[in-house]
Amino acid sequence: MEMYQYTCTKCGKVHHPRYIVCQNPDCDGREFEKAPLGGKCKLLTWTRAYNLPEGFEMPWLNFGIVEFPNGVRATGQIGFDEGIESGMELYATTAKVRDKVIKYKETVPESKYGFVFTRL
Amino acid sequence: MREVGIVGVGHTKFGKTVVPFIDMCCEAALEAMDDAGAKTGRCNHIDQVFVGTMGAGMVQRVSGTASAIVDTLNIRPAMAETVENGPASGGSAIKLGYMAIASGVADCVLVIGGEAMREVTGWEGTDFVATMLHPEAEYPYGLTLPAFAGLFTRLRMDTYGMDSKDLSIVSVKNHANACKNPCAHIQRPVSLERITNPAYIAATNPLVADPLRQFDMCPVSDGAAALLLVAKDKQDEFGFGHKPFIRIAGVGSATDTHVVANRAIPTDLLAVRLSAQKAYKMAGITAEDVDVAELHDAFQILEIAESEETGLFPVGTGHLAAREGRTALTGDMPINTSGGLKAKGHPLGATGVSQVAELVRQLRGEAGERQVPNAKVGLSINFGGFGNNVTATVLKAE
Repeated sequence: MEMYQYTCTKCGKVHHPRYIVCQNPDCDGREFEKAPLGGKCKLLTWTRAYNLPEGFEMPWLNFGIVEFPNGVRATGQIGFDEGIESGMELYATTAKVRDKVIKYKETVPESKYGFVFTRL
Repeated sequence: MREVGIVGVGHTKFGKTVVPFIDMCCEAALEAMDDAGAKTGRCNHIDQVFVGTMGAGMVQRVSGTASAIVDTLNIRPAMAETVENGPASGGSAIKLGYMAIASGVADCVLVIGGEAMREVTGWEGTDFVATMLHPEAEYPYGLTLPAFAGLFTRLRMDTYGMDSKDLSIVSVKNHANACKNPCAHIQRPVSLERITNPAYIAATNPLVADPLRQFDMCPVSDGAAALLLVAKDKQDEFGFGHKPFIRIAGVGSATDTHVVANRAIPTDLLAVRLSAQKAYKMAGITAEDVDVAELHDAFQILEIAESEETGLFPVGTGHLAAREGRTALTGDMPINTSGGLKAKGHPLGATGVSQVAELVRQLRGEAGERQVPNAKVGLSINFGGFGNNVTATVLKAE
């Protein structure tokens, strides 16, 4: 599993997540080139949340918003607990972030993959 | 456009409902109708109902809410639509009510907001609220609204030098206001010392989404509120002439990126700023004309940030205004006289309607112990998603 960035073929704006229409206000592109997104990034802000939704059974999870060197930003889980600080360099990997989903009020097994940020 | 005003307000006691969802909404509706003197059956003048609710379909397994309420209240064949805009569903319902009358499509509109959230576990409730997050870039991670508020708060703390105590000051103020509001969910005072003392803060005010603690956010509440809107040119004809006409002078709403990370300036609440500016322009006022404001403090950081984005205080100084007591009942810019979402409670779809109900009471001079002297202009901000769809309403006492 990989996470991706999406480059508008008309204006070159890079997006994450995927969009149907280019988010550049001066462009109306609808076609994108998909490329893997990951690696070095910078942590802009973070939180440790203790009240998690149905389907998450751990006592807490750390979340962060990161910025990649090309300016693309992403939200994801932070895969460690100690020494988290805004501004620190991280490494974005793709891993399982959820293993249960709710469908019609029933919690069923279904894995979801997304960013997990780790130490460099 | 026709002038539109509010002649009736209704509000259940927020907290835990003991009646079914539709009954709870009807309780608020009937109070608003009785307040105005509106009749049911053959004498009914309500020709449109808008019901704001976010989760009735998910939590109660009830859909078609507006249709059910019209039938229950015996005000058929009134037009009826349910409005869903997350926690701003109520504000959107008011805006649509205004538009329906102003455009001439309707003459008298009943606006109801309602939510019953305590029927499910906290885990399920947290999940259903989180369904408004981006379905690919946010929701799958287990992110919640409190988690986003934590991310936002840390950024604002880094940018403007505020700290956790500033959030507690807002919380203490709103709890004090709620003690004067019989409809508030939590009518208990809270002392600053109790929720900030490092010796026992972990027990009295535990972390929920670092740096946010329990008293930095609203409780989970059930409740409903309702407003009766009428065209100025129909007020006397429909028998509402005895009630003050609290004019809806301005409405505005605006959207922002669904993915919070993709906002140009992550500490900005652009949709709050734009919606307020639209409502001010329509009302022909500036922020300086506002006498009382109900701001969407689902998290205390939002009251501070919204007080800046709406122009009530300069950017980066909202927390200083709170420290100085300027936003208290006795301050020069009272905010959340109702107790706010923090202590009055936050039944999602009800909140926007509840905020405007409070402003109507303030502008009528009927707010009792929490009355702001000589209030003539009120502002409400109802915040959907994590700021990606916001409504603003400006009321004026005629």
